[in-house]
Amino acid sequence: MTSQLQFIIALAVLFMLLPCPCLADSPPLEYAGSYNEHLVWADQVVMVADVLIRSGGSLTIRPGTTVYVVPAEGTQIDPEYLSSQTELLVRGRITIQGTPQLPVRFVVQDRPGLETYAWAGIILDHASDLSDIAYTHIDRAEVAIRCVSSSPTILGNIITHCRYGMIIQKRSHPKVLENNISHGEAGVFCWLGSKPTLRSNRLERLDEEGLFIDASSQPLLDQNVIRYNEIGLASYNNQLPAGTNLLQNNRVNARVLGHQGLPSQSP
Amino acid sequence: MKWILVILCCWLLPGIIWGAENHRYSGAETLIQDTVWEGEVIIDGILTVAAGVTLEIRPGTIVRFTKFDSNHDGVGEHEIFSQGTILALGTENKPILFTSAEPAPASGDWGAINMMVSEENNRLEHCIIEFGYRGFHAHFSKAELLDTRFRFNLRGAQFQESRVLIAGCQFTDNTNGLQFRDSQVTLSKNVIARSQWGVRCVYSDVIMTDCTIEDNLVNGINVRDGKLIAKGNLIVGNRRGLYVQRSQAEIVGNVLRNNSEHGIFLEDSDVYIGENRITGNGRAGVRWVNGKGKMTHNLVTKNGLYGLINDGTEPVDARQNWWGSDNLNLIALTIRDGQDRPGLGLTDYRDPLVRPLEPPNKRE
Repeated sequence: MTSQLQFIIALAVLFMLLPCPCLADSPPLEYAGSYNEHLVWADQVVMVADVLIRSGGSLTIRPGTTVYVVPAEGTQIDPEYLSSQTELLVRGRITIQGTPQLPVRFVVQDRPGLETYAWAGIILDHASDLSDIAYTHIDRAEVAIRCVSSSPTILGNIITHCRYGMIIQKRSHPKVLENNISHGEAGVFCWLGSKPTLRSNRLERLDEEGLFIDASSQPLLDQNVIRYNEIGLASYNNQLPAGTNLLQNNRVNARVLGHQGLPSQSP
Repeated sequence: MKWILVILCCWLLPGIIWGAENHRYSGAETLIQDTVWEGEVIIDGILTVAAGVTLEIRPGTIVRFTKFDSNHDGVGEHEIFSQGTILALGTENKPILFTSAEPAPASGDWGAINMMVSEENNRLEHCIIEFGYRGFHAHFSKAELLDTRFRFNLRGAQFQESRVLIAGCQFTDNTNGLQFRDSQVTLSKNVIARSQWGVRCVYSDVIMTDCTIEDNLVNGINVRDGKLIAKGNLIVGNRRGLYVQRSQAEIVGNVLRNNSEHGIFLEDSDVYIGENRITGNGRAGVRWVNGKGKMTHNLVTKNGLYGLINDGTEPVDARQNWWGSDNLNLIALTIRDGQDRPGLGLTDYRDPLVRPLEPPNKRE
C-alpha cells in the first residue's frame, strides 16, 4: 500500500514537473471586427478577418510579434470596411513596436490559388498622429501602408512583394524614415496635398514607379536611394529634387508627368 | 369598453389613416395599417412596416433615430424595417429629414431605411438621409430614390437583388457612396463625391448617365462581373476613375479627368470606349489588361506617364483616337505595350485623328 502511495505521489510530481501541454500548444489569439478599447498584441496573433481600431481605441503590437493574416475567401462582395480583402483599418492609434532585432511580421496564411497580393494592408484613416509603425516586415499586401489624412511615423519597415508600398493621400504628412520597399509594382505615391517627410528610404526593384508625386503634393526628400526601378521618380515638377537623394540605375530615372510620354512641347 | 370599440373600428374600417405627429416608437413595434407621418417622429427601436401596409411620410417631417449599439461595434441598430411600402415624398422646399437623435450625431448612429422583399413602388423623394449605417438598404425590393441627399452615412445606399432607380441624388461625404450586387440599377444625374468608394457593384446591370463622380479616394466607379453603360458622366479627381473587372461595358461620351491613377482601368472585360475625353490622369489615361473590344474617337491627352498602357497579353484596337499628335512615331511614345515589354499584347493605333474632338457634352 505504501509503495503504491509512493508511486502515485511520484507520478503526480512527475506530471507537475512536465511543461503543461495545454499551455505549450495554446493557439494564438484570433481577432476580427471592431475594437474601441486598448488592444495589445504579442507573440502570435491571427487576423481572421478585417480588424478596425475605432477612433478612441488603440492597438499596440509588441516587438517580435507575428501577425498571421487570413485572406478573405474569394473577394468579399460587401466589405465591412474599405477593402474587399482582409484589412487592418486604424481610425484610432496604432503603435507597432518592432525593433531591428525583433521585427513585427505580417504573414499571409497561404492557400492554393491565392493571389499574389493577398490582403489589403494597414490603412490609417484619420488616425492619431501619434501612431508609430516601426520595423515591420509586410509582405503580399495590396498597399502595405495607406495614409488618409493621417500623419504617423513609419520607420524601418521592410515591404516586399506588395503591389504598392505606400499611398500617402489627402493631406497626410507622415514621417517616412529608413524603410525598404522592393519587388512590387510601385513604391510610394504622394497624392492630394500630402507633405510627407521621406528620409533615408530605399525604393528598389519595382516594376513601375519608385516614387510618384502629384501636382498638389510636396514631399520633403532627403537621402533616399531610388534605383533599379522602371521609372525612378515621376513628378510634375520640372525641377527634380536636389539634395542628397540617389536616383540612378532606373530604366528611366526621372519622368515629368502630364505629357503622357510625348515631348513636353507637344500639345 | 369604448377604447376596445375604437380599436375594433380602426381594424375594420378600410383605408383609415392612423396619423402620427410628434410620435415616438419604442422597442419592437409594427405598423399593421396604412400610416401617415408628419411633424416629428422618434424611432427608439426597430419599427417594422408590415407587408401590405403603406407608410406615407409628408413633406417637412423629421424622423430621428436614437442610438442603440447592442454589440458595441460602433454602429447603431435602430431602424425602419419595411416589408410594405414606403412613400417619403418631400418637396424641394420641405424635404423630409431622416437623422440621428444624438446630441452630437455621427456616421452610423442608426441602422437604415431597410426594405426586405418590398416589391411595391417604394419612393423616397426630396429627402435628406444622414448619420446612418446604410442610409437606404434593400433586399429583393423595388425602389426609386429621387432628388435625395445622402450624407455622413457609413454607406449612402446599399442593396442586393433589387431594382432601383436613383436620379438627381447627391451622395456626399459618406464613407462609401453606393454599394450593390445582383441588382438592376439606373443612375441618372447624381453626384457621388468625397467617399472612399464612390460606386461599387458586382453582378449587376448598371446604366449610368450624366452623373458626377468626384474626389473618391479609392475608386470612382467599380463594376465587377456585371454590365455597364456609362454615358455623359463627369468622372474627376478620384484615385481610379472607372474600374471595370470581368464585365461588359459601353463607355461613351464621358469626361475622365485628373484621377490620381488611371482614368479607365479595365481587367478581363469586353468594352467599347468611344468619344470620351480622357485627360490629366496621373499614371495613364487607360490601363487595359486582357480586354476585348475597342477604343475609338476618344481624346487622350496630358495624362501622366502614358495615354494607354496595354498590360495584358491580348492586342488592343485603339485606332482613330486623338493622342495629342497625329504623328505615329510620337504616338508610339504615349502607348506602352508589347513593343516596350516583350510578352505583352500589341496596340493598333493607326489612323489617328488629325485634330482634337469637340467636347462630347457640355459637362466640362
